[in-house]
Amino acid sequence: MATLSLSGILRRSLIHRRARSISALIAMTVSAGVATALLTLYADLDQKLHKEFRSFGANIVITAPANTPLPSNALTQVQQVAGPDASAAEFAYAVATTNVATAVVVAGTDFPAAKKLNSWWQVDTWPDPSTSNSALVGQRAATAIGNTLTIALSYAGKPITLQKAGRLITGGDEDSRIYMPLAAFTAWTGIAPTVIELQVPGGAKRVEATIARLKNALPEVQVQPVRQLVEGESRIVDRTHALMYGAVLLIALTVAVSVLATLSASVLERRRDFALMKALGGSQMQLMAMFLLEALVLALAGVAAGFVVGSIAAWIISEGNFHTATLPHLSVLPMVLLVNLVIATLAALLPLRVLRGLQPAALLKGE
Amino acid sequence: MFFRLLMESFRRQRRRKLLAGIAILLGTTAVTAMLALATTIGDRIHKELAVYGANIIVYPKADQLEVKVGGVSIKPASSSTYLKESDLAKLKTIFWANNITGVSPELSSDIRFGGELFRRNISVPLRGYWFNHDFNNFKTGAPALHPLWKLQGNWPQSQTDPHSDFQAVLGADLARRLGKNVGDQVTFPSDTDLGYTADPKVAKFSPSHERAPIKIVGIVTADNETDSEVLMALPDVQAIVMGNDNIGADPISRVEISARTKPEDAFARKDPDTLSPKDHEIWYCRPYANSIAYQIREAIPGAQAEQLRRVEQSEGNVLKRISGLMWLISAAALLAAGFAVSAAMATAILERRGEIGLMRSLGASKGAIALLFYAETGILAIFAGALGYLAGSGLAAWLGARIFRGDGGASEAILIPVLLPVVVALALAVVIGGSTPSIRAALRMNPSAILREDA
Repeated sequence: MATLSLSGILRRSLIHRRARSISALIAMTVSAGVATALLTLYADLDQKLHKEFRSFGANIVITAPANTPLPSNALTQVQQVAGPDASAAEFAYAVATTNVATAVVVAGTDFPAAKKLNSWWQVDTWPDPSTSNSALVGQRAATAIGNTLTIALSYAGKPITLQKAGRLITGGDEDSRIYMPLAAFTAWTGIAPTVIELQVPGGAKRVEATIARLKNALPEVQVQPVRQLVEGESRIVDRTHALMYGAVLLIALTVAVSVLATLSASVLERRRDFALMKALGGSQMQLMAMFLLEALVLALAGVAAGFVVGSIAAWIISEGNFHTATLPHLSVLPMVLLVNLVIATLAALLPLRVLRGLQPAALLKGE
Repeated sequence: MFFRLLMESFRRQRRRKLLAGIAILLGTTAVTAMLALATTIGDRIHKELAVYGANIIVYPKADQLEVKVGGVSIKPASSSTYLKESDLAKLKTIFWANNITGVSPELSSDIRFGGELFRRNISVPLRGYWFNHDFNNFKTGAPALHPLWKLQGNWPQSQTDPHSDFQAVLGADLARRLGKNVGDQVTFPSDTDLGYTADPKVAKFSPSHERAPIKIVGIVTADNETDSEVLMALPDVQAIVMGNDNIGADPISRVEISARTKPEDAFARKDPDTLSPKDHEIWYCRPYANSIAYQIREAIPGAQAEQLRRVEQSEGNVLKRISGLMWLISAAALLAAGFAVSAAMATAILERRGEIGLMRSLGASKGAIALLFYAETGILAIFAGALGYLAGSGLAAWLGARIFRGDGGASEAILIPVLLPVVVALALAVVIGGSTPSIRAALRMNPSAILREDA
């Protein structure tokens, strides 16, 4: 008979008690999987939440000083300062008179930019950007002018005829306005844009930093955050973050304790192995190393399987809820590994304290 | 005999039972806490989203077009139609009245400051609001719907005593421009300064005086157009606008309403008047912003109610995502806890193969043994599950209070009775599911083999 090496004992121990090894492996996989899924989701959470807040629209408003338009290159400058992931739209306003002699606010804007920025606008048909006289009519404005498709307006004696492309419903001030393409608007009224609405993704810090940079780049204009949006966003993100943190700890603890119970029960059950090895001359240290090694091997295998399972779970949750995929984060691996190794070590060492006091002879005799 | 076995098993194997019990306890604690948080998250997030203000706006149907840019009226509102403040009481009678968490009526006008400070009178917007008004058993008003307003001083109170001064709060910009501070007075202009033909408020309150003093009781910073407005109590502004001839009239120009709503889906967007009576009923009885607005239109004569899409749509979006996340995580917690607990149960049974062998060799039927084990684990699951339910509820309340602290009323204990049977049933299912394979495996083995292996 060949001499038993450590790896031999280990291999046989794992293979011989296959059912037990598999249940321990499943337990370790579950703990690693849960930890991976939660940590992966947690790592992506802020970014995902910030993205949801984009639907609130602009969080910075840039206004020209009274009676002067914005510099002609303001929009390009703003885009440059805010970065490529920010969206901006410029607006120009004038009060025109309708054919029924009521005053109405007419706004000139770039429709694609406004559409991107204001996702809450309910519009049946957006105007074709290639036509210069198609307009979006707010629902109250539409009622006021009698719901006609052709809208005759005049500003400072200059008439213009617009074609209504769609109806705009927001519940806010926009409902009383008529929106038309900016170029046609400026040609008609001679008024250049006075307001740029800007949306900077990310939290309050990024907004503040962007405002500071904008004030530097455009010293003559007024740059203001939309305070309730910025504040609300950071509040919600913080709270959800904390909630998630609590959930992660809670679930990790539950799973860890259950896994600990499973593993230590299966170690305890091996009292007879323990007694036999001790009777054959194994030292306490050697035995501890044996059990520990076995647990660690299982833990490592559990991490490998659990990382895959957990990443898939995170991907499914994220796809199901946020409709964007969460890719596996390798950065969570050290944490998962640590958690599993700690559980495995505890599971191997805790029962040993009970076993230490046992007399091998008594155990083997079956007392 | 059966009960003795059951009793003895609990009495003698305390350590093992404790371990399995703790696993179940923790599992149910985690699941209860997650489910409790997930069911209440909507309300909590709604409270957080209060910073965005109202999500439904009510204005007179026959109102003229607003000529407003950047929140500032370019053309002063000429005499327009009003809603009646007394009609707001009807909000309490609509189907979703309990979902209304804030109501803030507003009356807009202009006020001119004249006299000693300026050669020319300046006209500034004057707004009448509720400040801490009692409505449907809660305090509400403009400050509640604009939590970001920063007030220095106090909110104005309506003056019932004709001899006391009016009270007003100035916007921060306006206060700076006027050079006024809390405690200062400004004077209400004389008849001739005023654009109105008569100065009803002056006549009503101080017939002998030319000017009515206004005491500045506070300064508000809002970072928007409110910074250049004068805020007064609604009854005072109503008296100013309506004049002496219409004492008791209670006009309001618009109402902001904050309501707890269900995020909009395709069904919510349907036009209720085109739906079949049955669908209309369903639509009506769901707390969509659209249906609440519809009910407000029905309740208040001459009113047009609209959801503020910027707030409502985006809130719905955020709410949907966060509660979706909570539910998914709860499901994941359930799954993980189920796995972990059933693994613990499986090991616990495997450990007791010796007992099973002994019982079988003594002539117990398989059914009797299985029943004994199921009874044991079942009792364990019910007790540990019930304890876990309590612990989880407490934990959820604590977590909720910690995370959402400072929102007022968010720290109430979450004891959701419906969860108790759910959680206990889940615990039972998991425990039985987890131990069944082990029990079956143990029963399938030859008793003598088990006993010899163990000896």
